[in-house]
Amino acid sequence: MEEARRDPLRFDALYRRYLAQVYSYAYHELGDHHEAEDATERTFLAALAGLPGFEERARPADGEGASTFRVWLFQIARNSVSNQRRSRRRHPAAPIEAAALVADPMDVEGNATLRDEGAAAWRAVGRLPADRRQALILRFVDEMSNAEIAGVLGKSEGAVRVLVHRALRAVARDLGGDA
Amino acid sequence: MSLVDRDGTSADALLTDLYLDAILAGAAFGPGGPFDRDAAPGLDPVARAAADRLRRDLVRVHPSFRFEERLATRLAEAATAMRLPTAVGAEGRVVPFRAAAVLDPLAGDPTAGDASGGPNDPRELARPLLIGGALTSAAISIAGAALVAWRRGRPGRTPMARAARAARAARPARLARLD
Repeated sequence: MEEARRDPLRFDALYRRYLAQVYSYAYHELGDHHEAEDATERTFLAALAGLPGFEERARPADGEGASTFRVWLFQIARNSVSNQRRSRRRHPAAPIEAAALVADPMDVEGNATLRDEGAAAWRAVGRLPADRRQALILRFVDEMSNAEIAGVLGKSEGAVRVLVHRALRAVARDLGGDA
Repeated sequence: MSLVDRDGTSADALLTDLYLDAILAGAAFGPGGPFDRDAAPGLDPVARAAADRLRRDLVRVHPSFRFEERLATRLAEAATAMRLPTAVGAEGRVVPFRAAAVLDPLAGDPTAGDASGGPNDPRELARPLLIGGALTSAAISIAGAALVAWRRGRPGRTPMARAARAARAARPARLARLD
């Protein structure tokens, strides 16, 4: 991180490290590969431009190598995605490609079932209010801790814990008995 | 919401969090990775099932290789542009002007400064500088004075010059008569 702050050309290592995470977040939020690419591109360009102003907030007690860079990066990503969602003024379609990524390519019938179930789960997540949806995506897709999600969303850890819990209950209700 | 409800929600949220920590720890071994299914035994089975399903369906996705490399190139160009001001001298430092006390021989012993002869050594700072422009200017002044002296001692070539010189020579005598 510090190397990238001193020399912008070192930013490439950070970009490679966090690309899939930012892209996944954008993709799950926007439901479209092209829009996710746009949001990802804006996020990293903004991060590069804002890198000199980034302030490390990790303390020595957080452990060696601890950094708040990911939280800062996802704050930018969240803004990029929110702007994109506002600009298009429509709810994301529920893509089904993601479910296919984990399916067995030889099991056609099983894949179809998985895609249906995956699409249902995506729809249920997509219907959640923004803060619950974002908390759930950051927790499941980006595997963030509650502290990190709290940093991204600007809430307390306790509030995030309740947010995720309620989001999960809402998804369970939406999916009905087949969850 | 009553205090009891709030406490109940917080307790359920803690159980949910415990379970999510367990299944996301299992996700580190890849999709379908092993995890402690008995974690948070008090968790509502419906919420547990929803968490299992989201763990399976909300997967991390990677952008295309073409997009990754295109954005990497764009970031490298932006990083190079950010470095450019540095290359043309933005990293230069401002050096304070020499203090008068340093240049004043009466202000103290000039040899009492930095004995290392470094950049802060008053002897170094007080060293007179020979600048080509100053020498040229002085040379012009000397040549000008010589020209004036030579022209004064030389009889004028034109009648106008001779008249002017005679008038100038007679001027002190006239002034003396008026007094």
